[in-house]
Amino acid sequence: MLRLSLVVCGRRVAKRFCLQFASSFSSENALPSNLLLPTNLVDPARLKRPPPPPDCSLPVLRTCSAVVPSHLTPVHTWVETLEKQDSEPLGVAHLHPDVFAVAPRLDILHTVETWQRAYKRISHANTKVRSEVRGGGKKPWQQKRTGRARHGSIRSPIWRGGGVSHGPRGPTSFYYMLPMKVRVQGLKVALTSKMTQDYLHIVDSLNIPTPDPQYLLDLIKQRHWGQSVLIVDISEEFPENILQATANLKTVNLIPLIGLNVHSMLKHESVILTLETINFLEEKLLWHDQRYTPLYPFKLPYCDFP
Amino acid sequence: MSFPKKPGGKSLDVLKTLPRISLANLRPEPGARKEDQRRGRGQHGGNRSGRGHKGERQRGTRPRLGFEGGNTPFYMAIPKYGYNEGHSRRPQYHPLSLKRLQYLIDLGRVDPTQPIDLTQLVNARGVTIQPLKRDYGVQLVDEGCDIFAAKINIEVQRASEGAIAAIERNGGIITTSFYDPLSLEILIKPVPFFMRGQPIPRRKLPGEEMVPYYTDAENRGYLADPEKIQQARLALAQKYGYILPDISKDELYQMLCMRKDVRQIFFGLAPGWVVNMAEKKILKPTDEKLLKYYSS
Repeated sequence: MLRLSLVVCGRRVAKRFCLQFASSFSSENALPSNLLLPTNLVDPARLKRPPPPPDCSLPVLRTCSAVVPSHLTPVHTWVETLEKQDSEPLGVAHLHPDVFAVAPRLDILHTVETWQRAYKRISHANTKVRSEVRGGGKKPWQQKRTGRARHGSIRSPIWRGGGVSHGPRGPTSFYYMLPMKVRVQGLKVALTSKMTQDYLHIVDSLNIPTPDPQYLLDLIKQRHWGQSVLIVDISEEFPENILQATANLKTVNLIPLIGLNVHSMLKHESVILTLETINFLEEKLLWHDQRYTPLYPFKLPYCDFP
Repeated sequence: MSFPKKPGGKSLDVLKTLPRISLANLRPEPGARKEDQRRGRGQHGGNRSGRGHKGERQRGTRPRLGFEGGNTPFYMAIPKYGYNEGHSRRPQYHPLSLKRLQYLIDLGRVDPTQPIDLTQLVNARGVTIQPLKRDYGVQLVDEGCDIFAAKINIEVQRASEGAIAAIERNGGIITTSFYDPLSLEILIKPVPFFMRGQPIPRRKLPGEEMVPYYTDAENRGYLADPEKIQQARLALAQKYGYILPDISKDELYQMLCMRKDVRQIFFGLAPGWVVNMAEKKILKPTDEKLLKYYSS
């Protein structure tokens, strides 16, 4: 089943690629039947809407509140709505380059992703050592004259049914913390990669007309947002309609902004942010660029930390 | 004048053409992951497993570090001398050069219009004090005395003559005061102390050996006579060859004259008060005995 879908998707994408480069393939218009292309190949049909031009007529709905360094320019993106399935973008938003256009450090993404998987992990694998296996206190037979090998206990590791010498020992924790700035940079790099590869979409609010999940699926399909969508709102109180619509959907997920993490962003194909979330995100992520080292934990009040 | 570049530059342009970054595409930087050395595996790692051939080396029965086969080892042959004797009782003072102080003032991390205290210096991350490592505070060092040009009211624990001269030449005031280790810890990190809910303690007076230092006007000690301090200021000005500016005609005269009481740790807070950070209130003692104790 999986292989079939792979081939089908691959063929559709490959066909588009072939149409593009028709001139280069002179005699081979037909695709070979055993061609397998990866599903996450860049799909030209998705890139329908180019980024907003500098002289766009739509209003600028959001500018950067934080100071943008003079050698960088803000990133421009469309702001869309979820109200109608086939509506045009409402306006343009300016995003801070130090959050949405940082260097694409894929190694930091890998580090943060492995940390997210490992730090919560507690492995409960446990084996019994020779002292813990039931029995084996008595010497099985006398040391000499039996003609057999000498043994002290029937539960030594060389015996069948004996203890394990170097096995996993009890619940082990794989907890470690990455430095705060590395985790922050991971978030920034994830947001940047979603933005540059055109998988980040900004929406003015999460109000939809119906609680019907099919509405969302049709909207996503029409706008070519991808197979899976992560919708991020600023707080844990979501509008009723979208809550009901996404309740039974596996591929469309709703999270509050404090739950935003690199693993979820990479797992879902598209990420949808609202305008309020962007304000909060920029404020929180840019603060780490210019803060002092902590004298005491950040949970305790500081005079300059809000 | 550099032209505003596209944010991210060429690397983000390249990223646009690459496949979607997903959980399947991540890998560590080449050379980041180094495999652990496993002894006793393989053609070259096996056999003797890197232990050598026979003897104590292979059998793991070598004697302790420093043993020299029976003759008196080096660490026993050399006679003792008290280089480090009593090192845990020697007070240490973190050096703060005038160059660093000027740097902090220029960058706006330290405010020269308010009295400069050890708390202000630590908040500006100018110095790092570790009271548990026998640090008794901060000492001002000569380096940068010719560059220094700021009028400040500064309180340190020790100061060199050149530093005192440099500060007074610019119309500032310098005081040296003593903080016992408990008061120092509170002074450095006031917020964790306030969260404990304990009343602010009285600052202890210096011990026998430090009293001569802090009662001397030459060192601008906080226990010294103000008149003698004024005479010492004039003497130092004559010695170093600058005219002592008249501070009383300064607009910031009030601020420059602010000095802490002998038993006070913070400006504006007296010993015995409890600070409630959550409700932003200060609680003062009302009992007679407590008041008598804290004001003595």
